[in-house]
Amino acid sequence: MEFNVLIGGEAGQGMFSVELELSETLSRLGYHFFATKNYMSRIRGGHNHHMIRVAERPVHALSGKLWDMVIAMDGAETERRHRPSLREGGVFIGTDRIGQIEAEAKDAFQEVTATSPILAGLILACLGADPVATLATAPDEPARKALAKGREFAARWGIEGRKALSPKAGDHCKLDGNQALALGALLGGCQFAAGYPMTPATSILHYFSSVAGEIPVHFEQAEDEIAALNMALGASYAGLRSMVATSGGGFALMTEGVSLAGMTETPIVMIDAQRPGPATGLPTRTEQGDLEFVLHAGHGEFPRVIFAPGSIEEAISLARRAFDVADRWQIPVFILTDQYLADSVQVLEGRVPTKILRREYPVFGAGYRRYEITDSGVSPLTFPGLSEARVEVDSDEHTEDGKITEVLGLRVRMVEKRLRKLEGLRKEAVLPTRIGDRRAATVLVSWGSNRQIVSEAVETLRAEGAAVSAAHFGQVYPLTPPMARGLARKRLICIENNATGQFERLLRRELGLKAAHRILKCNGECFTVAELVERVRKILG
Amino acid sequence: MQKQDIAWCPGCGDFPIRAALEKVLRKLPVPQRNIVLTSGIGQAAKMPHYLPYSYFNGLHGRSLPLAVGIKLARPDLTVIAVSGDGCHYGEGGNHFLHTIRRRLDITILVCDNKVYGLTKGQSSPTTDLGTKNALAPRGNENTPLSPLALSLVAGAPFVARTFAGDPQHMEQVLREAILFKGPSVVDILQPCVSFNKVNTYAWYRGRVYKLEKQPGDRYEAIRLAESWGKRIPIGVFWRDGQFACRQGREIFRKPVTEEAVTRLLNLSCVMMR
Repeated sequence: MEFNVLIGGEAGQGMFSVELELSETLSRLGYHFFATKNYMSRIRGGHNHHMIRVAERPVHALSGKLWDMVIAMDGAETERRHRPSLREGGVFIGTDRIGQIEAEAKDAFQEVTATSPILAGLILACLGADPVATLATAPDEPARKALAKGREFAARWGIEGRKALSPKAGDHCKLDGNQALALGALLGGCQFAAGYPMTPATSILHYFSSVAGEIPVHFEQAEDEIAALNMALGASYAGLRSMVATSGGGFALMTEGVSLAGMTETPIVMIDAQRPGPATGLPTRTEQGDLEFVLHAGHGEFPRVIFAPGSIEEAISLARRAFDVADRWQIPVFILTDQYLADSVQVLEGRVPTKILRREYPVFGAGYRRYEITDSGVSPLTFPGLSEARVEVDSDEHTEDGKITEVLGLRVRMVEKRLRKLEGLRKEAVLPTRIGDRRAATVLVSWGSNRQIVSEAVETLRAEGAAVSAAHFGQVYPLTPPMARGLARKRLICIENNATGQFERLLRRELGLKAAHRILKCNGECFTVAELVERVRKILG
Repeated sequence: MQKQDIAWCPGCGDFPIRAALEKVLRKLPVPQRNIVLTSGIGQAAKMPHYLPYSYFNGLHGRSLPLAVGIKLARPDLTVIAVSGDGCHYGEGGNHFLHTIRRRLDITILVCDNKVYGLTKGQSSPTTDLGTKNALAPRGNENTPLSPLALSLVAGAPFVARTFAGDPQHMEQVLREAILFKGPSVVDILQPCVSFNKVNTYAWYRGRVYKLEKQPGDRYEAIRLAESWGKRIPIGVFWRDGQFACRQGREIFRKPVTEEAVTRLLNLSCVMMR
């Protein structure tokens, strides 16, 4: 049993507030739910919609089935677009009813913004939330009144308990993808972030800066993305685990700094929250179009690692890991997320590591050489001002003690030293997550945010008797032979939110895995489970 | 430091700047290990390689955001960004403006030879109108920047000019700039013996004069900063005694705790798992 509701309207009409009120209360009541949004790059007007799926089992994707309820905060647009997808017997809350609620909000609460909690109360009543428990979640009297008022409207319109669900998630918490990344960063020991606002990465910086005042963590808003990355590299050089977060366009400006991090072997974590390009593209929509860009960003050759978390748990654990990998190997580490994962609110059911990773502060003497050539390729790292050791770092090719050099033999040894790290990095690569029965002849391959959509699609297809499993890559570079284990003889279907199948090409190039089919989407929206199931069915015949 | 280790042309203005800077840094009342230099790209940006201190010699134009990151991470460090006119005013022009605005205790030294040296003689942001070179065969068509006026307008609380041909004056000004608590800018007039045949030592010597007293207010300083030609003032143009320098926070070696993260993000449920 589940309950799917869509709340649509113009930007600024309060749909997001309804989502926030509702998801907060659902979380407190212990419901399983998933929420995501589809919005335009404008502050007022246009058409936005928020989608919330409430269920009696864990859900982490849009079902793609007909809506149980559509709420239209605007005039005709939401009704025109979404009412056709309302199931028979579903509830439509249109202009008339919204008008009544708004009037009540102004009357009883002296402000039209009370509409949002009233609507949340209405939805909760409709899906059968316990009235007493619901009211108990309210932080104050006006909130309690609003929730109760929502239930009154539901009763008045005869929709109370229309599709009653029980809360089965127990005590839990909810996070969106960006919150998870910020949390993962803190758990990874990150103490410095610099950035320039850019959707859909901005909220990572919001979360990070929201805690900065009270713990030893700093966020600096840079004049541009070039400065942001250089500030973070400066902070890293000085001894703090550091990061930047941006989207593709901002990352484009950072690419010279990626190369600088590679040459100077300065640990850094860079998050690219992807949105559709090229250029400004669709600023508030989703895409997985930057994989090849991030893979090749920065001139010259140097090692890197790219993670692409597919769930809230993975966003936390891989972000945490990213800082550790960057620090231990002194390389740039990338995290690819996207608008879909960034803006999706999910219930955390799994376990995540919570111990904060810390760095040792080794001390060296006056003979310290920042770029000492070693077997692993990793040179001893320390920071300025801790001892007589001078930390000399240079963007030119350099000697072991960080001085400019044009001795070509040394140049080659330095290139080899830097690239040698890849051997170690390959050994500790994160293997793909296998979902479903490994014996199945067909494997749905995905990376990044599609993981849980694919996972539910596999479940659905298997229930229909299809022999399908899935492999999700949370690490997309480097790709190592153990990752291909059990995939070579399968019929692979690669699923990506882009137009050209970037990961499918990478699989072929790096692992010799050839996908028989691709399922791609580049309209700026995520896949829904139903849509994916349908497209796989077509391939399976 | 052996002279043959240095990759500058014989007679380069960077030599006396290096010598003055080394003297000043050696006598600075801060632990020597706490001095950190940043630089970008260009002849002047090689400076840190020839001084016995920690440094981050980064990319063209980016010495300042590096300096900002270092200073924010480690307020205990004395941070000096040294590069040329092309690096600070051209490629890094945006960073120059905004680093001044950040109110951090960072010293910005500009070795200003009014020409691109490393790339062999093209126009820089301070090249005079009409100057001919390989990329401007009909003469430079851009108005030269007025670095001191720009710094003053951007809000720099310490703005000075000195001359590579006057070691004592350089030492005095550099020391004052580094010890000033806040963003300080020093434009150092410097001949380029290879590519600037106009602004030579002799040319400057016949024109520079030392300011006897600092201008009374910022506007007077701006007016003075605009003067150039037969008489070129050097010295401290503006020093804001009331300036409130931004204090960095102690973050380094102050680890974040699990408890604090739990409390602040209201995520007790995550942390319990």
